[in-house]
Amino acid sequence: MPRTYEAVYIFDSTLEDAAISEKINRFHGLLGAKEQPEVAHWGRRQLAYSIGPKDNGYYVVSKFAAEPNALPEYERALKLDDGVIRYLITLHEHEVGAPPQSEEELAAATRRDDDDDDED
Amino acid sequence: MRRPQKSCPFCESRVRWIDYKDDRTLGRFITDQGKILPSRLSGSCARHQRQLSTAIKRARFLALIPYIRGHQA
Repeated sequence: MPRTYEAVYIFDSTLEDAAISEKINRFHGLLGAKEQPEVAHWGRRQLAYSIGPKDNGYYVVSKFAAEPNALPEYERALKLDDGVIRYLITLHEHEVGAPPQSEEELAAATRRDDDDDDED
Repeated sequence: MRRPQKSCPFCESRVRWIDYKDDRTLGRFITDQGKILPSRLSGSCARHQRQLSTAIKRARFLALIPYIRGHQA
């Protein structure tokens, strides 16, 4: 069963934009995903702390669905690539967060809390 | 002696999942040194405080927020 992942890549900011796009396509090709991944380019920004000699990075965020057994190969390619300063792959967890509460439920929860206070 | 209840800023704004990429929001929940603000001070509920600490740690790894503010390597 495919799972949804979110990956953030920090590329070397000295790379050409075309080279970065080419690398991303190559990485995503390893996933064997049927659907095209959603890719958002944040562009060049300053790092909060220097990583080795680098002070700037090119951030790219992508969201994709892939089979878990396709990940090790993909991660290995990321690890070996010199153009990638850092990457983070996370499960896209937004679907399993706390359920949204309606106006009434929230009011009820607040009331319950208030009742608790009275008992002490 | 109970301290007055603070309301969770994330519950108030109906946040379901705290995004580790949102460095501006996360920046409000770290101290001047870069430490994670305790829920005692921020008022976050337990669920959101857990999400917040994970999000801050991920954002630090991605160099979106510093591990230590004002640190010169």
